[in-house]
Amino acid sequence: MNQTSSAIEVTGLTKRYGRMTALDAVNLSVPNNVMFALLGPNGAGKTTLIHILCTILAADEGTAFIAGSDIRRQPLQARRNIGVVFQEPSLDDRLTAFENLDFHGRVYNVKAADRRQGIDELLALVELEDWRHAVVRTFSSGMKRRLEIARALLHKPKILFLDEPTVGLDAQSRAGIWSYLDTLRRQRDLTIVVTTHYIEEVENCDQVAIIDHGKIIADGSPLNLKRQFGKETARIMPRDEAVAAELTQKYGSLQKAKDGSIIVDAGAPGFADEFLAEFGTRIRQVSFDTPSLESVFLTLTGRELRDRGADEHEKRNAAARRGRRS
Amino acid sequence: MGLLGGIYAIWLREVKRALRDRGQLIGGVSRPLMWVLIMGIGLNPYFRGEVFGEVRFAVPYTYIQFIFPAIVVLNIMYTSVQSAVSVIWDREFGFLREVLVSPMPRWAALLGKILGGTTIAVFHGCLVLLLAPFADVVITWERLAMGLVLMFLLAFGLTSFGVVLASRIRSFEGFGVFSNAIILPLYFLSSSVFPLDPALTRAQTLVVYPEWLVTLVEWNPVTYAVDALRGSFIRFNQFDPSIGPIMLSVMAVGFFFWALIDFRKA
Repeated sequence: MNQTSSAIEVTGLTKRYGRMTALDAVNLSVPNNVMFALLGPNGAGKTTLIHILCTILAADEGTAFIAGSDIRRQPLQARRNIGVVFQEPSLDDRLTAFENLDFHGRVYNVKAADRRQGIDELLALVELEDWRHAVVRTFSSGMKRRLEIARALLHKPKILFLDEPTVGLDAQSRAGIWSYLDTLRRQRDLTIVVTTHYIEEVENCDQVAIIDHGKIIADGSPLNLKRQFGKETARIMPRDEAVAAELTQKYGSLQKAKDGSIIVDAGAPGFADEFLAEFGTRIRQVSFDTPSLESVFLTLTGRELRDRGADEHEKRNAAARRGRRS
Repeated sequence: MGLLGGIYAIWLREVKRALRDRGQLIGGVSRPLMWVLIMGIGLNPYFRGEVFGEVRFAVPYTYIQFIFPAIVVLNIMYTSVQSAVSVIWDREFGFLREVLVSPMPRWAALLGKILGGTTIAVFHGCLVLLLAPFADVVITWERLAMGLVLMFLLAFGLTSFGVVLASRIRSFEGFGVFSNAIILPLYFLSSSVFPLDPALTRAQTLVVYPEWLVTLVEWNPVTYAVDALRGSFIRFNQFDPSIGPIMLSVMAVGFFFWALIDFRKA
């Protein structure tokens, strides 16, 4: 068994909290130097999985190898090879940006010269050079997240974990975070593992695993996932009732919209040509939708990724956090 | 040595944070001033005893001299136990994770943290020593060195104890109340502000004081810390002089391992 060939190798990982099964026999393999996204609604088990892989939470069953180290038997070895950005900030906000990075470098045993050079480079990467000696308490949440990314990279890890790195940030900061990750991916030998529940963010990843109720329900490149589970659809606005009836008879309607348009499965090869040749003059409008990851999630779970339930869950969590801290 | 670098980093962070916290520094200065200037000077004339019809000083020292080593202990107690608040702080504000996910073994991370708290506590103990000339206490270099070792052991043990407390108490407010409820009784029951006359036998002592008080003082480990510092700063011991250092060492080691067991679970 050659564990070093992939960055992460997970077999049968299970975690229970009382009667609730947070992770249910998860299998996962992430190759080196890819951008890997773990996509799923809140409460799906993403954070639990990340915490287990970071060795701060013990699994009940199963094995996991991080950069070739067994997280159960060689946790310290595994930790040397990972950088982690947790969902909630873990900076010391009474220290300056530099002091936070310097602390990290010393704890990870980075040599003084490398530490100095690394801090300079990384502060430049995340555009925080001007705030080098500012106390972190004065930072916005976007700046804190950027500083945490810089910190997680200071000891040159092989794998970077980011748990929901863009939650709670405005659109501009979110785009910024993704552009830093893109730059990193091009500059370094680095496997990036990111969890998110924003579907639009994973389109650029090399590999996506969709997780729901503690189970990985699909795993592959965005393109493959869309091919396999997504549906290509056409939204057609017929000229009159007669045409509508004929269309429904021929293709079968997936859904009828309120404005009278019909959504049909357009996945068949040569659908567009055939359809236009036959109905081209008898419709007002037609638009083709390429399969999206949103439709993949819909197909696999039968519900939208961002449903009301998830938002409620998020609010409740936030309220609980506030209560604890006030 | 990589491990030493990491321990140093954690130590440095604790010290920096404490030095940036004005409130703690003010407390560390005002507390001893209050005790020396108000309690010490106020009670100085009354510090003699009438035992069996015979008026004499219970101990051959002025009251300020007598309570001076105990004030050192008090300042160390407050600062050590308070420094454990940073454990709660780290847990609440996420910094603990940064340490837990690092390749440092838990014992090293804990050692760095406790050494940081210890340093600050010893520093606050030294603030009291600056008042020595006003308390008529003469401290030679040799005595100072001995005293510092004892202060270090005491601070190390108490900071470890603070970490044990902190891992059981989840909120800042709870910790504040709880630590006061522990520090003050331990302090007052350590024979810090009144002596148990060593000239008296236990039977005679029990005539002067109620039995519960004598028993509590004798069972209180802080009693022996105060006694050890009295031994080194004013050369006065109420108990066997070897008990104090032994008690302090046992406390330092014992509480550290207790704290380690708790911290491993974190």
